[in-house]
Amino acid sequence: MRDPRRLAAVVIAPLLLAGCGPSGAGSRTSASGTSLTWGVTTEPQCFDPHRSTQQNAFIIIRNYVDSLISKKPDGTFAPWLATRWKISKGGTVYTFRLRDDVTFSDGTRFDAKAAKANLDYVADPANAADAASLLVNYQRGTTPDPHTLRVELKKPDSSLLESFSSVKLGFLSPAALKKGDTLCDASPSLVGTGPFTIDGYTRGQSVRFRKNPRYDWPPGYSEHRGPAYLNTVTYRFLPEYSTRAGALSSGQVDAIEGVQPLDVPLFEDAKGFQYRTGPSRQTSFTLNVNYTRGPGADIRVRRALRDGADLDAVVKAVYRGTVSRAWSNIGPDNSDYDASLKGSWGNDPEKANRLLDEAGWTGRDSDGYRTKRGKRLTLEVGYPQPYVRDNRDVLIEALQAELRQNIGLDLDLKINTAGEFTDQKAHGTWTVYPNTLNPLDAGMELRQVLGSTEFLYGNVRGYDRKLDGMIHRALATTDLDKRRPLLARIQRRAVDRAYIVPLFAPHYQIAATDKVHGLGFETQLDSPANNYAIRVGR
Amino acid sequence: MSAATAAVEPTAATGTRASAIVALRQAAARVATGIGVMWAAATTAYVVLHTMPGKIEDILVGDQTYPGAQEAVAAEWGLDRPPVVQYLDYLWRLPHGDLGTSYAMRQPVASVVGDQLWPTVQLTLAAAGVAVGLALAVAVGTAGRARPLRALASVAELVATSTPVYWLGILLLMVFSFGLGWFPLTADSGAASLVLPAVTLGLPMAGLLSQVLRESLEATLEQPFITTVRARGVGETLMRLRHALKHAMAPVINLGGWMIGSLLGGAVITETVFGRPGLGAVTLTAVTNKDVPVVLAVVLLAAFAYVVISTLVDIVNLLIDPRLRTR
Repeated sequence: MRDPRRLAAVVIAPLLLAGCGPSGAGSRTSASGTSLTWGVTTEPQCFDPHRSTQQNAFIIIRNYVDSLISKKPDGTFAPWLATRWKISKGGTVYTFRLRDDVTFSDGTRFDAKAAKANLDYVADPANAADAASLLVNYQRGTTPDPHTLRVELKKPDSSLLESFSSVKLGFLSPAALKKGDTLCDASPSLVGTGPFTIDGYTRGQSVRFRKNPRYDWPPGYSEHRGPAYLNTVTYRFLPEYSTRAGALSSGQVDAIEGVQPLDVPLFEDAKGFQYRTGPSRQTSFTLNVNYTRGPGADIRVRRALRDGADLDAVVKAVYRGTVSRAWSNIGPDNSDYDASLKGSWGNDPEKANRLLDEAGWTGRDSDGYRTKRGKRLTLEVGYPQPYVRDNRDVLIEALQAELRQNIGLDLDLKINTAGEFTDQKAHGTWTVYPNTLNPLDAGMELRQVLGSTEFLYGNVRGYDRKLDGMIHRALATTDLDKRRPLLARIQRRAVDRAYIVPLFAPHYQIAATDKVHGLGFETQLDSPANNYAIRVGR
Repeated sequence: MSAATAAVEPTAATGTRASAIVALRQAAARVATGIGVMWAAATTAYVVLHTMPGKIEDILVGDQTYPGAQEAVAAEWGLDRPPVVQYLDYLWRLPHGDLGTSYAMRQPVASVVGDQLWPTVQLTLAAAGVAVGLALAVAVGTAGRARPLRALASVAELVATSTPVYWLGILLLMVFSFGLGWFPLTADSGAASLVLPAVTLGLPMAGLLSQVLRESLEATLEQPFITTVRARGVGETLMRLRHALKHAMAPVINLGGWMIGSLLGGAVITETVFGRPGLGAVTLTAVTNKDVPVVLAVVLLAAFAYVVISTLVDIVNLLIDPRLRTR
């Protein structure tokens, strides 16, 4: 299917859009000024903040869900539904002072009881809420008075403020929580405190939001006060790249996210349009190499994989310069990114070949791959189909071609199912797993992909104990200034020992007509922010 | 029962009664076969889904790990029971109209699938209309005509059948929606938004149908009875429409029945390209997520559609071909 798609995109799209685009200009729909229509890549499978797992669901959920605190672009935290907070000396008790003027859109007051009910709900394993992983250290919540929430932890957890700023721990009304299993449906009874409320949903097509006229409690970083400018916001689910781009250029939608490299010139510096890229604080798209199995257990093979190709050129070729290659698995815009890694590795085929010779992979088979005792040097990349997106498979294929040519290593891309990967994960038999994670605290991100108890290495024997110890120390250190050097050391060790091969730093691309004002990105999600501060008009 | 007791009474009307009973028996056999087909389809799907690698609770839990997650999910969904018990439970619930709850969407499958059914049926019927209309026009207009005209039609048919639905959809969108602005992308704006998806899905079918129909028509036009009709002075077009077409239809109807059944596959792609609601996208995500209850519901629905369509095809064949009725 990929070939016709690319053919259509390459041959037809620029031609037709260049030729016919302007004729659609008269039919723009955004003139009313009080409504906005987005074309988005993904339809949320679940609209419940606590249960959703898709990053692209959160950009939609954010419209009706607020959090306890907010995260500023510089990585520090600002008030939101909590006006101030205090952390106990030992780092195990967090006390939040809550605003007293906040109501859910069903009229219920937001108070300490409602906040605690949400935390208890998420932390209860019986509810199987995805967000529970953010509350692994949650002991209990107490409510000394209606506007004070005390959170007691089992042990110090430096990622907790980040978690409280996350939409995943955003608040639903206690009445909505009682609906339990049906919460995934985007019905108007899914109630939060956000600037918009759910107004209508057609599965497979769109979800519509209406302004909450009483809203007056924006996050601390917001310059706008009072209710949102827009009356309604509609998200149309348009999974196909060319369809989204065409819908925007013909004025059938006002803004889109997920602009493919090919379509960027249609909107960037184009009359009547704007194009913006968001920050990249999330995990970079990274090959995680299982360092305990097969050829990948040999550090020389892993380093050869890391340095055997000119990643700059490969990333540039596939993404046409719209994204940058990565140096760490922590995103370059993250305040905990170790910038000293930049330029420290990669593109040294000569050394890579020497390492493979040393490691005994000296034979060659008829296809030109290196062999040892008749066995081909193969590292399988198991990439679950549901996660394959924005040309990431093409990127791996390009890398595969270059590694074969440069060093005779067979990087074998296998698109498998979520089930197959789950199976490999459960038995620790995965070989190379490519992934990114939703933005999390950097310490939490490193724990998720490299920690001994987490989803990748949880069932793998022989993990790096030293690295694991560093991760645990980092997460227990609540002094962010002391924590940062520790996080940098973890990143350096992971890259140096080639446990990870970071590939590129993904970020959101939005394009919109030039009548849309106030488009921005939410630091905590790296994604387009909610539509609170957006205006449409000349 | 009353029909059976009536059958033993010797009356003057025995002949018609007997044939009515035969028809009833055939209908009952038909329904039984239909149910059997659906059961077999659901069971096969159930077995295949459960033998696919990966435990459902692991998939449901996703990348997150926290103590008790798998167990809680398994208990919540009843996945901790033996597969056979789950299967029997599923079969038991079916006649009660309970299709279960989607793992991924956490909503009753009946409402998920129910909501998506009408848009897909709409698209399928419109596409079938496009296909049949175009095929009839082209085949009747070109069968047995001058060689260049037939060659042109053949090329057009070949192009139509071999164009990927994906590409065709984007092409039509580019020209008629984004470029000329004739048809909106919004699926709830009525018939106008149905035109492009229906053409996208219907065109490849039209190509195939038209090929088969023309060949069949050409064979019919060689028949002696056509010479008789012509000798009566009936005009060429009228002759084709009223006499030849009826004889040429049999293979086309069989093919058409199969095609409508196979439209679901095409609908997945068409719905994605046009951002339309429908079963296609729901099915695709359900399969990749191992969302067993949804997949089973779609399989049942597809089996049901096949049963209904093949029955209809048989009936239509009976109506147009008297030879089938004499048995």
